[in-house]
Amino acid sequence: MDSKRRPNPLFLPAAGLFLLLFVLPMAGLVVESLRTYVPGRIGSAEGAPFTAANYAELVKPSFAVFFFQTLRLSLAAALVGVFCALPLAHWTARKLSPRWRTLAIGFFVTLMFLSVLVRTYALELTFGAVGPLGPALRAIGISTNSRGYIEILVAAGLLHYIIPMSTLTLLATFQNVDPRLTDAAQVLGAPAWKAHLTITLPLCIRGILAAFLFGFTFSISAFVIPMILGKGRVLFISNLIYTRFSEIANYPSGAAISVVLFVLAMLLVYVMTHLVNKRWAQ
Amino acid sequence: MTPRRADDIIRFLCKLMNCAIVLFLLTPIIVTTLMAFDARDYLGPLPPPALSFRWFTAFFSDSYFLKGLAISLKLAACSVAISLTAGIATAYATDQTTFRGKDALIAFFLSPLVVPPVVTGFALLLFLSKIGVIDGFARLLCGHIIITIPYTIRATLAALSGIDRSYTEAALILGATKRRAFWDVTFPLARTGIISGAIFAFAISMDDVAVSIMLTDAKTYTLPIALISSMRANFDLSIAAASVMLMAMTVLLIVILEKLIGLNRAIGQGVFR
Repeated sequence: MDSKRRPNPLFLPAAGLFLLLFVLPMAGLVVESLRTYVPGRIGSAEGAPFTAANYAELVKPSFAVFFFQTLRLSLAAALVGVFCALPLAHWTARKLSPRWRTLAIGFFVTLMFLSVLVRTYALELTFGAVGPLGPALRAIGISTNSRGYIEILVAAGLLHYIIPMSTLTLLATFQNVDPRLTDAAQVLGAPAWKAHLTITLPLCIRGILAAFLFGFTFSISAFVIPMILGKGRVLFISNLIYTRFSEIANYPSGAAISVVLFVLAMLLVYVMTHLVNKRWAQ
Repeated sequence: MTPRRADDIIRFLCKLMNCAIVLFLLTPIIVTTLMAFDARDYLGPLPPPALSFRWFTAFFSDSYFLKGLAISLKLAACSVAISLTAGIATAYATDQTTFRGKDALIAFFLSPLVVPPVVTGFALLLFLSKIGVIDGFARLLCGHIIITIPYTIRATLAALSGIDRSYTEAALILGATKRRAFWDVTFPLARTGIISGAIFAFAISMDDVAVSIMLTDAKTYTLPIALISSMRANFDLSIAAASVMLMAMTVLLIVILEKLIGLNRAIGQGVFR
């Protein structure tokens, strides 16, 4: 075949779409984030003076608290998610017959694909204040309107996606570990837990880290889950961007928050692809 | 404590944890399904005393939801058609040749996958207002193209790279034009991969909230947006009925994917299984 060196021009339609719908909007976002905000105006004025005030404002406690909240809940959800997925993935990979394994994989894939709206609605309906479990929860002394419970509910929403996703990631990881290694350790007298802790876990560390980082990235950009389950009391960075747009129409501030969230997500993806893959590539 | 005893305890704890997790994952789905068939007109304790289809009827007689559903389907069809065409062309162009920066170009084409959707939506909102696109459907279409196109590119690339180059070369040696070799040999071989990409893209478009909520207007809204705004207004069980139908759609798509590419082959494939 000819023209091996030059890209085929057929990629140009997609490149055009990306330029128009992705590159230019993202560049516009950065420019907007540096514009001065004029209250009462929708969007910044053409040629409004440049300022760093939109970013400076984000380190104030009233804003920083949302960033802190997002990071805290995301970190907790990603850690708990990986911790829960470990035994589940091991059980699916090693203890189930092929037929049941296929069924289990189908179950996890379906849960992963489940519409985020269905997921949040189902969780709110089951564990929320108006749901059928509400009276039972109140009977054992849990207030469904307390801040702590709402935070747990948001984390549960994130976990309902993170657990199936991490389980599938770790499933593939476990299947690449030779079970004869732990068998050998046990034959030589090590208890099973010690064999797993010193052999299986170190061999799977890449998969575990990947699952954790994926869960964390998913969580910090979550939008619908905190919006519905947080009931306006637990807000994530994404929700903050939306309220900047929908409630006070402060576009420059919304743009600045977007840029920060974008940089945060890119950093995590960079860590995920470079550090995790390169470090353990061999 | 003997090592064996410790193992037994840990094994038991792991089993207990697995059961608790599966219960946590399943309970909301079962509760929602039960509630959707609830015959009462208020939210009462489980189990419902009688079952009925009243909430499904309520969903289908609500013009607000129906309009959202119609727009969602139209939007998904249009955005999948556009991103599939552009995606196949891109994947074909990059798969065929090697050039400097090819990996970077592919990474760039897949990058919308890792940008938080709210950021994509907000950037598009600013940009489209600035260049004066005010038609609601056009705005939504722009958003949905950019979130679906990485899926079609990725699936087509994977399908094309799995094809033995010698089939296409054989067709070319036998005198077929490059176009004919593509449509008669390469495309049929890549078809299942391309279809699975289209299914992914369709599901993503039907499910999106974060991008759509930025680009929607009072008259043009998708089904998820309609559901989310009525979810915040009141806790109507016709949303449970809609959820059951969306779940059924998810299961259907998974079954199609399983038949097409085989979930076990795509995911549960390790060296030591």
